[in-house]
Amino acid sequence: MRKLLLIAAPLALLASPVLAQSSTGNVIVNGAVASRCLFTTNSKTITITELAQTGTGAGAGSLDAATVNGRNETLVGWCNSSASTMTVTATPLTNVASVATGFVNRVDYTATANANSVNATDTSVGALAAGTPANVGLFTGNVLVTLSAASTAAGLLVAGAYAGNVAVTLAPAI
Amino acid sequence: MKKLLGLSALVLVVFPAAAMAQANPSNTGNVAVNGRVAPVCILGGPNPALVDLGVMIAITGTRAGRIAVLPAQSVSLPASFCNFAGSQVTVTANALLAANAGAPPAGFARAVNYTATAAGWAAGNAATTTAATANGSSASSTGSGPSHPLPKLADIGVTLSSFSVPGDNLLVTGNYSGTVTVTLGPAAVAN
Repeated sequence: MRKLLLIAAPLALLASPVLAQSSTGNVIVNGAVASRCLFTTNSKTITITELAQTGTGAGAGSLDAATVNGRNETLVGWCNSSASTMTVTATPLTNVASVATGFVNRVDYTATANANSVNATDTSVGALAAGTPANVGLFTGNVLVTLSAASTAAGLLVAGAYAGNVAVTLAPAI
Repeated sequence: MKKLLGLSALVLVVFPAAAMAQANPSNTGNVAVNGRVAPVCILGGPNPALVDLGVMIAITGTRAGRIAVLPAQSVSLPASFCNFAGSQVTVTANALLAANAGAPPAGFARAVNYTATAAGWAAGNAATTTAATANGSSASSTGSGPSHPLPKLADIGVTLSSFSVPGDNLLVTGNYSGTVTVTLGPAAVAN
């Protein structure tokens, strides 16, 4: 019985060097997603077939605000940062035709962009400048652009084509 | 040496590109807003709408039975406008004719001519003078003013003047009526 124990000891010595050689290596995998916003539908058009009041009544020839107010179009986009902002810049409807006393060739309005239940607005009145940025956060989906508060200086609208623009800018936190 | 220069150039190109992608990640969508205003002219309602000349002949004196000196009559078309460049006023006048359409006897007439002038629009007036004959034929005449080069909002004044009778004949009795039609619209385009 004693002899058998002596034989077992060398077997234990043989196993020990194998355990001592094991090792773990680590590969650290890091990634990053940049803050970003993107319009996937970035261009739409609102067409108003007649801006002036028709008929022969007292307001004939002047702006019919109802033809502008409430008109809307939908852009589509997303932002992947909770600190993203949305800014609107409204450019007035203008006509290149010459004016004369009693006439105007500019229609102002307010544009409101709604995304992620947040509104950003800008009025075209005064100098061309962006409105106050609104924190739109992380979202994907529609950006509804709606016109309101259409107005002109006192006067009749000159005939012809009028063109304006609403620019909606989505900006992530940097 | 050539290889070293090539490597340096590659490094310089790659880093700025990566930096730009990070620095300007905002994105803009646009909604174009287009509108239109149709060209239109509107005349203000005439004031007065009816011109009553009363009795047109001299009752006594050497011209008894012949047309009296009738004062000029004025009608205003307030706040008339055209919202485009290149408009003009046209006046069409119809001589005053006796309600009785029968041919007048020799020495008599059943027509009163006059001049209608529309002023206040372009640089020149629109004017016409009727030239009806004694029996009332050829009662209508038309005249146009020059084109106005800008949109315009103004009161148009219409004056009726220079009343006369063909041949200065005696006027047959009865009621007389005529019309003046003022048209505001695009200037005629020369062929």
